[in-house]
Amino acid sequence: MRIRPIVSRILPGAVTFAIGICVWQIISLFFVPVYFPGPGVLADRMIAIYSNPASYVVVGETLSRIFEGFAIAMLTGTAAGLLMGRNREIEIFFDSWIMVLLSFPAVCWAFLSVLWFGLSQAAPVLTIVLIVFPFVVMNIWEGTKAMEKDLIEMGRVYKADHALMLRKVLIPQLMPYIFSSLRIALSLSWKIALVAEAFGVASGVGQKLIYWFQDTRVDMMLAWGVSFMIVMVAIDVLGFRWWARRAFAWRHHFAT
Amino acid sequence: MPPETTAQAVLGPTAGAGAAVPPAIAVNTLTKRFLAPDGGYEFTVLDRVSLTVEEGQFVSLVGPSGCGKSTLLNIIAGIERYDEGSVALAAPSGRAEAEPRIGYVFQSPRLLNWLTVQQNLEFVLEAQDIPRPRWRSLVAEYLDRVGLGGQERNYPLNLSGGMQQRVAIARALAIEPDILLMDEPFSHLDAITARKMRFDLVEILQRAKPTILFVTHDLSEAVFLSDHIYMMRTKPARIFRHVPVDIPRPRKPEDAMIFDLEKVLIREFFSVLEAKE
Repeated sequence: MRIRPIVSRILPGAVTFAIGICVWQIISLFFVPVYFPGPGVLADRMIAIYSNPASYVVVGETLSRIFEGFAIAMLTGTAAGLLMGRNREIEIFFDSWIMVLLSFPAVCWAFLSVLWFGLSQAAPVLTIVLIVFPFVVMNIWEGTKAMEKDLIEMGRVYKADHALMLRKVLIPQLMPYIFSSLRIALSLSWKIALVAEAFGVASGVGQKLIYWFQDTRVDMMLAWGVSFMIVMVAIDVLGFRWWARRAFAWRHHFAT
Repeated sequence: MPPETTAQAVLGPTAGAGAAVPPAIAVNTLTKRFLAPDGGYEFTVLDRVSLTVEEGQFVSLVGPSGCGKSTLLNIIAGIERYDEGSVALAAPSGRAEAEPRIGYVFQSPRLLNWLTVQQNLEFVLEAQDIPRPRWRSLVAEYLDRVGLGGQERNYPLNLSGGMQQRVAIARALAIEPDILLMDEPFSHLDAITARKMRFDLVEILQRAKPTILFVTHDLSEAVFLSDHIYMMRTKPARIFRHVPVDIPRPRKPEDAMIFDLEKVLIREFFSVLEAKE
């Protein structure tokens, strides 16, 4: 009985996916595999990447940069967004600066970071922070303004100190905004990381992409790109969505 | 600089009147103004309001919506500023602490929906620096008193509106307040639930005996519950009448004495409100 709805939900997507693969395979027959690989060739190259232990070191390097940049941007962005939402003066002061940061071309940051920090670990991390930070600030700032004043007033009446207020009243109300920031930040971070690595450092997945680009090996570039995409989507789905479901359990919790 | 609420000895005129014990709440010619949104023009929310609540009394403040009753409670709770006059709160006699503990029951429950019922109570216990070893027994005791024993691990959103308000009352009582401020706590409930809650409140308060300032627009509720009633009007936002309620307890809402007093007070209310037109 329960199989049916699942089948009817998955089936249309699976069919279009299969059709897409077929069309792709047919088109690829007209090209040399290194310029336009078909799905079979791509899968072959991906298996080669997955079966080479050195690949995991490369992915690990990129992941560590992503998480450093991502963590710094999330922490500073959340703190700044909270302060801006709670304090009128700070808001007025930083308002226009956040807009400047948001509007500045992302590629410029990648170049500037390399010029300032050279070919070091700091360059890609800084690039990520500079690009992701304003997005996080905007999101948390908006969330802070949407918080219920009544609950904050309740906390003040009972003389809750700042730390308690933050833990039990403010952060829980911000959770939906924190989660959406996390997901935006992660998807931005990993894409920026690859660009920054391609420009700036001689390691990581970005370096693999530029290496195969210079060799005009589209098949290898795609294989690396898709492989890494799978890793990041897995982190998003298995990590964040699972965590979000737990964090919002109180909304769906029913008495037993 | 507008003065902040202090908990020092009473400065008001009632202090020197031979009373050895200072009143729990003494509000003296309190004035609060709001700036109109267009700036400049000031709107007086409270116009020289004075009232006194003696330790252990149940006092109601009755008035039409928008007469500044809630603002007065917020000023007493110390979360809103005022412009003139004074507010003095006193801890019960024979207690070392100068600051009285204040519990507050709002119109809506204002629970933290992401915390369980128990954690909601623990939030205020932590806020008030009540030692952790005492939490378990305080939570159990006051949930039991409001009839919610066994709901500790449930989440507020699983409870009915009446039950949520009971949690809010338990939360206010759990800190064992010296002063309990209640802002139309039953006005969001249906008539039957509200009636039951009023009975239960009287019952609960026979054991815990905090000083209570109860804000309502419902005169029969005020007469049923209170020792004293202050009646407030708008434009100007003033207290125009102080009525002691000498009806013996335990009371029933159907008591003829309650009906009679309510009728007298309603007549007075309308004469004042019409006189202003």
